[in-house]
Amino acid sequence: MSSEDLLVCLPGQRLCLSDHTHVSGQGTYERQGYIYSTLAGTVDIVDKDNVKIIEVHTSGKQTLVPSQGDIVTAQIHTITQQFCKCHIKCIGDKVLGRHYRGILRREDVRVTEKDRVEIYKSFRPGDVILARVLPITEAHTYQLSTAENELGVVTAHSEHGHLMVPISWTEMQCSKTFVKEARKVAKVVPESVQQGLNEN
Amino acid sequence: MPIDHKRINGPEITIPYQLFDKLNTKSGKSQFKDFVKSNGVRIDGRSANDHRKIFLKTGVVSQAKGSAYIELDKTKVIVSVFNPREIPNKSEYSSKGEIYCEFKYAPFSCHKRRLHQQDPEELQYSAIMKQALESAVSRHEFPNFQVDIYALVLHNDGAALSAAITVAGVALAHAGIPMYDLITSVTLAVQGEFVLVDPNLEEERLCQVPLFKDEQNTNHGIVVLSMLATHEQVSQFYQTGNLAMDNLTSAIETLTNAAKDIVVLVKKCLVRHVIKSARNVED
Amino acid sequence: MSEQYKILHPVKYYRDYLAHNIRPDGREFDKYRPIVVNLGSISTADGSAIAKVGRTTVVCGIKAELCQSKAEAANEGFLIPNVELPPLCSSKFRPGPPTEQAQVATQLVADILKNSECLDLKSLCIFPDKLAWCLFADLICLDLDGSLIDACMIALMAALKSVRLPVIDYDPALDNKQANLEHRKPLNITNIPSSTTFAKFDDKIVMDPTVDEEDLSTALITIALRKNELCFVHKPGGASVTDEQLLKCIDESQKRAIVIEGIVETALRSLQ
Repeated sequence: MSSEDLLVCLPGQRLCLSDHTHVSGQGTYERQGYIYSTLAGTVDIVDKDNVKIIEVHTSGKQTLVPSQGDIVTAQIHTITQQFCKCHIKCIGDKVLGRHYRGILRREDVRVTEKDRVEIYKSFRPGDVILARVLPITEAHTYQLSTAENELGVVTAHSEHGHLMVPISWTEMQCSKTFVKEARKVAKVVPESVQQGLNEN
Repeated sequence: MPIDHKRINGPEITIPYQLFDKLNTKSGKSQFKDFVKSNGVRIDGRSANDHRKIFLKTGVVSQAKGSAYIELDKTKVIVSVFNPREIPNKSEYSSKGEIYCEFKYAPFSCHKRRLHQQDPEELQYSAIMKQALESAVSRHEFPNFQVDIYALVLHNDGAALSAAITVAGVALAHAGIPMYDLITSVTLAVQGEFVLVDPNLEEERLCQVPLFKDEQNTNHGIVVLSMLATHEQVSQFYQTGNLAMDNLTSAIETLTNAAKDIVVLVKKCLVRHVIKSARNVED
Repeated sequence: MSEQYKILHPVKYYRDYLAHNIRPDGREFDKYRPIVVNLGSISTADGSAIAKVGRTTVVCGIKAELCQSKAEAANEGFLIPNVELPPLCSSKFRPGPPTEQAQVATQLVADILKNSECLDLKSLCIFPDKLAWCLFADLICLDLDGSLIDACMIALMAALKSVRLPVIDYDPALDNKQANLEHRKPLNITNIPSSTTFAKFDDKIVMDPTVDEEDLSTALITIALRKNELCFVHKPGGASVTDEQLLKCIDESQKRAIVIEGIVETALRSLQ
């Protein structure tokens, strides 16, 4: 699309009537039977099951905060016996402007044999993990979970500082020294499947 | 005053040299007459309802999520907006996000040198800004978080508060913070029968005290009003001085009309930004 | 994808660029960003300037006030520089007292001013022991994108050059002062000191770093010059730098100092 035929809109701009064929989507709100924009950006009309979803996308970076059920990319910075702390850096494929604090408890590391989980055999500081955001109960930290096959460590470095490659879902191997280390490894899925995962 | 160990302090007592200028013996009334002629034409050639020339620009601070800069002739205000962050010192869950506003005059922005810490006037203006902007932002979209808005006045030549509110609205839209509506703000200075839109610093100063006491018309003061553009709602109203009830409605009407004129400029500025960034994506 | 890579592995991201002898913003190692100076736009100040080094923006406003001189230096006035890093300029700062970085910057700027002797404080004295000028030079950073000191020095020197002080008639017998606001005089600035910042990363040295580069670097070096003389070198810890590297840095900053002086002089001419 060239910039000439963009549908530019501004916050508070009335976009259309809200009825059963036009539904308010991302970046819009409904008020007294009309759909209004909340952002300065471009209008996008998505057709889904004969219903037109009106969406507005900002021209710059989206303002995002993690919410329940999101798949996030996080970097571990502290580990203890009970939990590990991390910084959430991306939601799906969107990079956050500021990183948010997350916490991953021992019982949320994997699905099976929950009581035999040992944090230091699953994660180490510096590891990059994929995790899902649990319902928010505390004000300041997001609780995360890696209790799914596709979630866990994505990239990690060995004690010698070299990149490691996954060899099973519990082990990774250093690419230089071939030393094996224990991790809760994520099963990496192709990007198309990944997107389906994010939508759920 | 306690010594500020984190800055370099000058001598304890300093006096502005302007105090030793040849004494200005004119009365406030005749000074006012110099600024506003009896037919309502002001010293810079504007009529009572005219706004000064406005210059608006977005994206002036690269490190901020959103930023904007405004010039009302000589008055210059810069605002930056940051990504939502955790609310400090708060443990319970709040379903609505908060906004934090800080309004500050640069030390060299006024006739008298300002101190580095916020003074009561600046704190009050911060609170007014927060009140004005709160109803424009869709705060339920970032529960538990706080959006920081910082306004810095580089040069104060009147109407700094309303300039800061208007430009903060532009910066919020530039930052992509969800908003119900665009917001604009206008200042009005009242003195006797004169009602001046967008006063400069001298006009503001002369309207603080009643000058026409003998004429039984003690109307004087400053009125600031902020408006949401599409829904035509007043989000903030601030008045000091003395204003007769009969004049209130006409004052509000003057302000709403002036606010509507600014919306056009705000829209133009934001559309320019959207188109420009769309072009950047294409390239 | 590169955006995710940058945020998750910033060091590797940067190293990949440097391996190709280029920096993420497209500059070569020894290239500095464009410098822009604007003078006298704030009329409430007695002298003002805005300096931009790349995206780093610093505004300097100088306000002159009258005071009594110090007992130990009865024939001197004051020049008080303060660098302010408000939360407006970067997401790193919170409202509150000046951060450590702001305090360090203030001290550095004050030291460079003192060492360069660009302004004789005696010229700020109106009557010994009775009356002197106090110049408050407030430097406010509006956008922090690295090389703060360089931008501060440019803004400060340009603002000092644009200061016009009114003539004060002082009668010591009656302690009577009269300011003549129509008759103003410039300060006698003898030289324009400027500084250049370098960042060390692995064994490479880059000139005029951005804020991302400063955060990743293992050492920072700031070199201040007046004409062809060194007046301040600041290297606060960090990785070691070899003799040749340091000499090369000094060489580069000498070349840049000439350019900066030219830019300030040009801006000044356009003001008059």
